[in-house]
Amino acid sequence: MKLKNILSIAVMATLLVACKHLDVPSDAQMESRLPKIYPDYTEVMVPANICPMNFAVQEGESETIARLTSPGGTYIYGDNQKVLIDETEWTDMLKSAKGKEIKVEVFAKIGDKWKAYQPFNIYVAEDSIDEYISYRAIQPSYVAYEKLSINQRNLTNFDEREIYNNMSVSSEKVGQCINCHSYKNFKTDNMLFHMRQGYGGTMIVSNGELKKVDLKTDETLSAGVYPAWHPTKNLIAFSTNKTGQSFHTKNLNKIEVQDTESDLILYDVDKNEVSIISELDDELEVFPTWSPDGKKLYFCSAHFEYYNDSIEKSAEMIQRYDEVKYNLYSADFNPDTKEFSNVQMIYNASDSLGQSVTLPRISPDGKYLLFAQAEYGCFHVWHADADIYMMNLKTQQVQKMDALNSERSESYPTWSSNGRWIMVDSRRDDGNYTRPYIAYFDKKGKAHKPFMLPQKDPYFYTFYLRSFNRPEFMIEPVNITPQEFAEKAKEDAIPAKYADR
Amino acid sequence: MKKYLKYIYLFAFITVAYILLPVMNGDYLYTIQDNNVFINGHTFMMETVTGEGGWIVWVARYLTQFFYHPWLGSTILILFWVAIYWITIRMFNIKDKWCFAALAIPVFLLYDLLSYGYWIYYAKAPGFPFVPTLLVLFVLLYTWGIIYLTRNLHISWHLKGLIAIGPLAIIPYISHLLWPTSWHWHLDYQPKNGILTTLTDKNFRHELRMYRALDEFRFEDVLNEMPTDGQAPTNLMVLYKNIALMHTGQMDRMFETNNCGIKPDTGDSPKIRTSLLGAPIIYYMFGHINYSYRWAMENAVQYGLSFRSLKMMTRCAIFNQEFEVAAKYISLLKSSTFHRQWAIEHEAWMMNSTNFIQSKEYQTLSPLLSDNKNILDGDDGLCEQYLLEYFSDLNHPSTPLLENVTMCMSLWAKDYYAFCVHFYDYVNNHPNSPIPLLYQEGAILLGNAEESPITLDQFRFDDVVANKYNGFIQDYNQLLQQGIKEQEMAKRLKPLYGNTYWWYYYFYNDFNIY
Repeated sequence: MKLKNILSIAVMATLLVACKHLDVPSDAQMESRLPKIYPDYTEVMVPANICPMNFAVQEGESETIARLTSPGGTYIYGDNQKVLIDETEWTDMLKSAKGKEIKVEVFAKIGDKWKAYQPFNIYVAEDSIDEYISYRAIQPSYVAYEKLSINQRNLTNFDEREIYNNMSVSSEKVGQCINCHSYKNFKTDNMLFHMRQGYGGTMIVSNGELKKVDLKTDETLSAGVYPAWHPTKNLIAFSTNKTGQSFHTKNLNKIEVQDTESDLILYDVDKNEVSIISELDDELEVFPTWSPDGKKLYFCSAHFEYYNDSIEKSAEMIQRYDEVKYNLYSADFNPDTKEFSNVQMIYNASDSLGQSVTLPRISPDGKYLLFAQAEYGCFHVWHADADIYMMNLKTQQVQKMDALNSERSESYPTWSSNGRWIMVDSRRDDGNYTRPYIAYFDKKGKAHKPFMLPQKDPYFYTFYLRSFNRPEFMIEPVNITPQEFAEKAKEDAIPAKYADR
Repeated sequence: MKKYLKYIYLFAFITVAYILLPVMNGDYLYTIQDNNVFINGHTFMMETVTGEGGWIVWVARYLTQFFYHPWLGSTILILFWVAIYWITIRMFNIKDKWCFAALAIPVFLLYDLLSYGYWIYYAKAPGFPFVPTLLVLFVLLYTWGIIYLTRNLHISWHLKGLIAIGPLAIIPYISHLLWPTSWHWHLDYQPKNGILTTLTDKNFRHELRMYRALDEFRFEDVLNEMPTDGQAPTNLMVLYKNIALMHTGQMDRMFETNNCGIKPDTGDSPKIRTSLLGAPIIYYMFGHINYSYRWAMENAVQYGLSFRSLKMMTRCAIFNQEFEVAAKYISLLKSSTFHRQWAIEHEAWMMNSTNFIQSKEYQTLSPLLSDNKNILDGDDGLCEQYLLEYFSDLNHPSTPLLENVTMCMSLWAKDYYAFCVHFYDYVNNHPNSPIPLLYQEGAILLGNAEESPITLDQFRFDDVVANKYNGFIQDYNQLLQQGIKEQEMAKRLKPLYGNTYWWYYYFYNDFNIY
């Protein structure tokens, strides 16, 4: 046989395999339950512009077929155990099902018999979601760190790229740790992230211009740690923290991250000036966040008095770690004079409930405040009992967001720019690795069942050994390249001035 | 004869390579693969090929896993070296009598592989046994290809050179544009004495073998690795040995079996740490599951994910009943070639708790797990010091094994206060049982010390212990009066008292934590 003929046959065979026609089995035996799928996308509400919700069917070593029916048409998928949805067809389905649902029927071949499971719906909201999220990709490590990056992911497809990667400036002798990233009004022309140790400093993009500053002054505890951009002024509220870590011998929370001291500062980006917002004795102030109108600053603070002079503060903090409980405060802010006044505790979690409140975030319409609450401490990502709560800022009523919570840690809640989507960091999957979950928040103030950020390969999370840390919504991508960040990182940081209030 | 020279050279090289690799250094190669990871599948491939070194590293990591069977991995590597030898001869048309020169590159590559020593734990260059070989082979094949393709072109050698080298020079630039963090090899420290460690340091090899035996719960094999020729063991070997004694019910023999560890002589390795070399397995064997998991994770973060870390994290997750995360690690291990069976066996533990409870690992460790008190703490990276303090300070141990561990660890730490408290409890808890000789040796020494928190006047020591102790004190004082220096005293008293706690207490002052 000539080579040409062999090639022709091979091409034909390949085309035949590629064009294998999928159809649902007609003789499937009906099961009375939903199929086991991963991630769990049964009965979830999804944005009108989300990427395909690929999933895997976990009904043993089975062959799988899924039929997705939307008002616009029916599509059938199946690739062994995976249901990998064509992006163009999915976009068509979303368009036609906006405000309605996509019906999903799953069939699995167990042995030589097909089973049909109870169908479920994927509801398509009228509302879209911000096109991007960014997060820090980090192993759930303890003290050590090596490769860290801040990544941005397009939610309408599976595109992902690095915003910054510490290995571009790290060496074996001088490593670099990347910390909290933050954006002003969900946009990226005003953004920041912090770098510690090698080439340390705070990287600030102000009106598109990149600069590196050193926010540590002689009068402040540390450089800026947890940030919050003011929504209208070129100001950033930060906490300053002296942080330590210690380790549980038995408790499955495994780690405690504790502040022995913490204060709040205000950084004026234009003047490169740092001033103190709050540095009360016996108070551990942390996690600032602005109201959408910029007239109030919310933050958490724990009252903690050290009374053992014979040991270091850090040692006493370790001994009394479960006594540290944060409450929620607000302070009025005059954007013109930059004066704070009328500091009030708006939620006393410690005394009345024996609980600790962290990570407050306010909805873009200013009506609701989400936060994470657990029995003690400030680092709820490591606290299995941490759950998401919401305060109605008008009535100051607090409710537990049952739909968002699990038996494992939920923390770092954040809102999309239109206020219709909530993203939380959850460890519900396996207790150790943090994954972003997105939930619809309807106009009545009700959160719906959250879904895990979809990935092209539904088994992605099984193999991915990094956590999604501080997931934040963005309405546009960061356009400064990693190389530009790296070049700036290598420059000396401009020291911030201290301004007395 | 001349025409066979190239075969003779090659045969000699292959023989030497086999002797130096699987015959002499099988454990070294096994450990290298244990510190490597290769997961079959798209996700791991994409993660690797978009990282430093790209495809070469992915292939190198794939091949490194074959050192699971050192003979197999060595054979693959040697075959590559044979290819390099042949291509070099063909490319440069080397005459038979000069063919030994073509062995220069394979010899260097062999030297390179053996030159890591303790750096097999630190090297942040995944797939390092194969990366240089693959690169050399790639460059040789590429150059050979260029020579072949341009053989009929009437162009100058300069232009041929440019055609050959140009694309190679552009690759890093393109790579930098596409993947800005690629092509950074962060091995600023270079191993200097590694070849000596690999080839001549017996303790290094003992440590490698002891680790593997511990990992497989072969405690007798751990004990058999302790040197009997008077050579001082490393601290790590002492720790491994005492773990094996603990789990074979012989911990009270720890001072009979050379408990005087030294720091390994690594010359240039400023970062040698017990925490990296063995903390996960050491903590695991002492029932400190959280700390074992922590160090497996820390090492994976800092020095790269490895089969070793994955297996330790799996075990810890199972012991902590964190089955979802254990399943995650197991699914990764099941996607490997040589650790699949291990993963399947451990998966069975999760599927059926009876399997787990009946397993040797659970049976061995469960007596250490009954102490349920949680402590928020930290080891500052000093594993052995932490364990000594932890068990010395542990009050009211709840099992006989824990009781013995607290006694022995407080003796090891020379913590007379802790020991006396434990001894007092022990005597009260076992009124009708004979007291092990080691505890009597400790009590007669520490209990009579001025600082002792309790009095042992009422306690009757066995005559053999009391007489020997009196003899020791007498001999010691005699040598002291003669002005004999401590080192010499230790030497002279060792034949009679070297296996007693007193000799350890008086003469081992170089407890070098690292």
